[in-house]
Amino acid sequence: MSVQYKSIKELKNMLNNRDISHTELIQETFLNIKNNSKLNAFITLNEEESLKKANNLDNIAGSGSLAGIPIAQKDLFCTKDLKTTCGSNMLSNFIPPYSATVIKNLENAGCISVGKTNMDEFAMGSSNETSFYGNVQNPWGENLVPGGSSGGSAAAVAAGIVPAASGTDTGGSIRQPASLCGISGLKPTYGRISRWGMIAFASSLDQAGPMARTAEDCALLLNEMCSHDEKDTTSIDEAIPDFTENLNSSIQGLKIGLVKEFDLSKLDNDVVQIFEESKKHYESLGAEFIEISLPNISLSVPTYYVVAPAECSSNLSRFDGVKFGKRCDNPKDLEELYIKTRSEGFGDEVKRRILIGSYVLSAGFYDAYYKKAQQVRRLIKNDFDSAFKNVDIIMSPTTRGAAFEAGSKGDDPIQMYLEDLFTIPANLAGLPAMSIPNGMVDNKPIGLQLIGNFLDESRLLQAAHNFQISTDWHLKTPSGSKS
Amino acid sequence: MSWETVIGLEIHVQLSTDSKLFSGGSTSFGAEPNTHVDLIDLGLPGVLPVANRGAFHKAIRFGLATNAEINQTSTFDRKNYFYPDLPKGYQITQMALPIVGKGSISIEVDGEEKIINITRAHLEEDAGKSIHDLFDGETGVDLNRAGTPLLEIVSEPEISNAKEAVAYFKAIRQIVTFLDICDGNMAQGSMRCDVNVSVKKSDDTELGTRAEIKNINSFKFIEKAINFEIDRQIRILESGDSVVQETRLYDSVKNETRSMRSKEEANDYRYFPCPDLLPVVISDNELKEIKDNLPELPDEKERRYVEESNLDSSEAKIIASSKTMANMFEGACAKTNDSKLVANWLVGDISALLNKDNIDLQESKLTADNFALLIERISDKTISGKIAKSVLEEIWETGNNVDAIIESKGLVQIQDESLLEKIAQTIIDNNPSQVEAFKGGKDKLFGFFVGQVMKETQGKANPQSVNEILKRLLS
Amino acid sequence: MDKKTVSTIAYLSRLSLYGENEDKITKDLENIIKFVDQLDQVDTENIEPLASPLEKTAKTRTDNITAKNRKEVFLERSPKSNDDYFLVPRVVE
Repeated sequence: MSVQYKSIKELKNMLNNRDISHTELIQETFLNIKNNSKLNAFITLNEEESLKKANNLDNIAGSGSLAGIPIAQKDLFCTKDLKTTCGSNMLSNFIPPYSATVIKNLENAGCISVGKTNMDEFAMGSSNETSFYGNVQNPWGENLVPGGSSGGSAAAVAAGIVPAASGTDTGGSIRQPASLCGISGLKPTYGRISRWGMIAFASSLDQAGPMARTAEDCALLLNEMCSHDEKDTTSIDEAIPDFTENLNSSIQGLKIGLVKEFDLSKLDNDVVQIFEESKKHYESLGAEFIEISLPNISLSVPTYYVVAPAECSSNLSRFDGVKFGKRCDNPKDLEELYIKTRSEGFGDEVKRRILIGSYVLSAGFYDAYYKKAQQVRRLIKNDFDSAFKNVDIIMSPTTRGAAFEAGSKGDDPIQMYLEDLFTIPANLAGLPAMSIPNGMVDNKPIGLQLIGNFLDESRLLQAAHNFQISTDWHLKTPSGSKS
Repeated sequence: MSWETVIGLEIHVQLSTDSKLFSGGSTSFGAEPNTHVDLIDLGLPGVLPVANRGAFHKAIRFGLATNAEINQTSTFDRKNYFYPDLPKGYQITQMALPIVGKGSISIEVDGEEKIINITRAHLEEDAGKSIHDLFDGETGVDLNRAGTPLLEIVSEPEISNAKEAVAYFKAIRQIVTFLDICDGNMAQGSMRCDVNVSVKKSDDTELGTRAEIKNINSFKFIEKAINFEIDRQIRILESGDSVVQETRLYDSVKNETRSMRSKEEANDYRYFPCPDLLPVVISDNELKEIKDNLPELPDEKERRYVEESNLDSSEAKIIASSKTMANMFEGACAKTNDSKLVANWLVGDISALLNKDNIDLQESKLTADNFALLIERISDKTISGKIAKSVLEEIWETGNNVDAIIESKGLVQIQDESLLEKIAQTIIDNNPSQVEAFKGGKDKLFGFFVGQVMKETQGKANPQSVNEILKRLLS
Repeated sequence: MDKKTVSTIAYLSRLSLYGENEDKITKDLENIIKFVDQLDQVDTENIEPLASPLEKTAKTRTDNITAKNRKEVFLERSPKSNDDYFLVPRVVE
């Protein structure tokens, strides 16, 4: 029985009913990984260890809500004794001596981490083209990018190789690839999931989250990924609900906000058309639409491109060739050790962002850029706070269009930055947001973004699940992946 | 032309917490290299800092003891620069909102009291150590010290000369040791200081250009470095040149400061709020509890010693000025009633021995219990004061118990009056000419008779009894 | 943003922008800075900067030693070390 494209829920049933053994499931997963190797979705595989775990589960009944479920982990999470590169040459030899909390949580729930997925270098990119390990191919088309930075995770789920993957989202890195690959992806509230063991890009924006075929699967994963972690003082110490509990409740009366300032007229007709159809569908489910104003939202992208580079320039200083990772050959002195190591170890996009970050923090520019951006960030957050007094969730397209061809954005970085126009605001305000498939443009999937209030992931998941039990966009499968 | 010197000190005090400022790594000194390093101290990818509340409490004690404002909400910032012993490429420090705000401390130089204002005291993490001279062509990095909590105490530029600077440093050292927030061990680098020195014409209102001398860790070197630097700057100014604002290093071998001119001059630390650490808030109750449990400081001790223990104010001052001396005094007084005698011995013989060996009381073999026993044995007349000195010397060498020393050396005082009288009579009989001279008015000879009795008894005779007996027999 | 600024910033970041890349990166940086200059148009007087979306106060830990000696584990991951130390080219002070 094929396991390709099966959801977590379906695989759980198959395992419970002994339709398939744990070992068979993992064996078939690796077969699918190998058959789809041209997608370049994985940087490192964890086959031996995975089979051992599956074998154990076959012998001793496994505990844990996700026992035996194969999962692909973004290569940004530290995994003990398993190479973790963050998509960079700098860490091409890095074997962490510890595991991220979220990895531990998922593995404690029984998940089997089958491999580490390709990604934009240090999560900086929106197309997976900045990975040191080569582009990831979108299963929906040979030259199409999967989005980024969690492109490998999105492609692996979209190709039906794994039912679940972890991702991280600093400005849209879960939602944008989810949209471009036709899967469901959730960025929880900032602080919901521990950042311990996540290699930091921009600490005040980074958040891990689940990527899966359905909202229901995202809820199952989120249940296990969340924890209050004493090792991360920015992880939230609030009760963690059962995120599956309200999935099937009706959304009759749900108030959905539409952002006045999001100018959809600049988008492709198809995208607008699809968005309008989703609105109608939600109306048919009993939701009502309210126009809201987020007056400062248009400044989200410039704000982000000050805050994120500033934090990254500091976070990436530890990659200096002294304690771990790569070092250049035969440095003649300390200065050369630093400069050559970092110049060889980082790719162009990472360098660009480090330089921008150093610039906006440097003496004389701090107030004009960094402080200013943090002030605008507060204004943006205040806008959301006001809006959520009147609505339950906010809805927008996730991306400006469907997947584009590799190299097609030219070499102007700003064009790529604008890819994250709709996703960045939720990161700045720390709000939960998700993307679910809501249509096809030229046989390429596209996603709908739902933004929720602080800690209100349950409502997002409920709205998404209600949509998915009455539509079939999330069930579409690409012809590009091999079974 | 007369020149005026303006000095400010930045003192780095290693707080005596068990664990580091942001990790559970040990802070103890002297371990094998890189054995007290946690994932966090190493700055591994993905690790996050968690602030140590104990370090805040120690910093607050300092603030309270220097009448400073305590910022009940304080924040952390990152200071970015590259150095091999700075594992993350940034140091976490408190730039915008330090835990301790403005305060002050009083110093005394040549009998004059002066108040030095303290600008701020903030928490930050220490760096590791770079070992430059152990390996051929390479520098070794030991991260044991990386992450140890430091309290950086920044003075206002109100210090006028090297002597005041040393007095200020000593006053800070006294406070932090009494507060039990730092061991004050200069040799181990528990206290280090950066000195900012500038010179201006006496009638100029604006400060001169300053040079910062980095990382000095002894009183002597502070004084020498400042004096060298003042001379250097005056020489420059008198020759019509101007002083360059720069960081300098004090070379204790050559007794000079020299420029650390390097690419560091292009440094721009790009401070910004550390996004991994939320503001730390100290509640009113917490603050009150720290205040209520603040250890007694030298001034209070001095007052108490005069009032409760009847010490002379000069004795009280000497004892109260050193944490270890005060501990010894209080420890001994808890076991014996004669606090005056305890004080006499501390200020007299014990201080003399300390000076002779140039050590601190905590480095000696004397314990408070043994010291109390020594005082007891003097009080109960088991031994004389003179014998007690030799017992103390023995303790100094061996650390042996007072009673054991007395016993093994047979030092018990001779109290038997009839025995003493017999000895005294024999001496009088054997020295008729001296008796005659004494009776003829040569009073000084009394000492001769006492000395003879003591000699005969190997110093064990009770001197008071000997005096009385001789007076009677010679009258 | 001129070349000198870019080279200062590059030095602060310990990056070198050799040869053909230099012009391109200078131009990119210029464009990005121009792009973020839009922020200028907003009035942010008296607005407290937002450093973290979590407007909460920190949890702290009590002063306990929890770390074990992992010297070998750490040193073996280092690009260059001996039995005791991480090694870098000799630093002259």
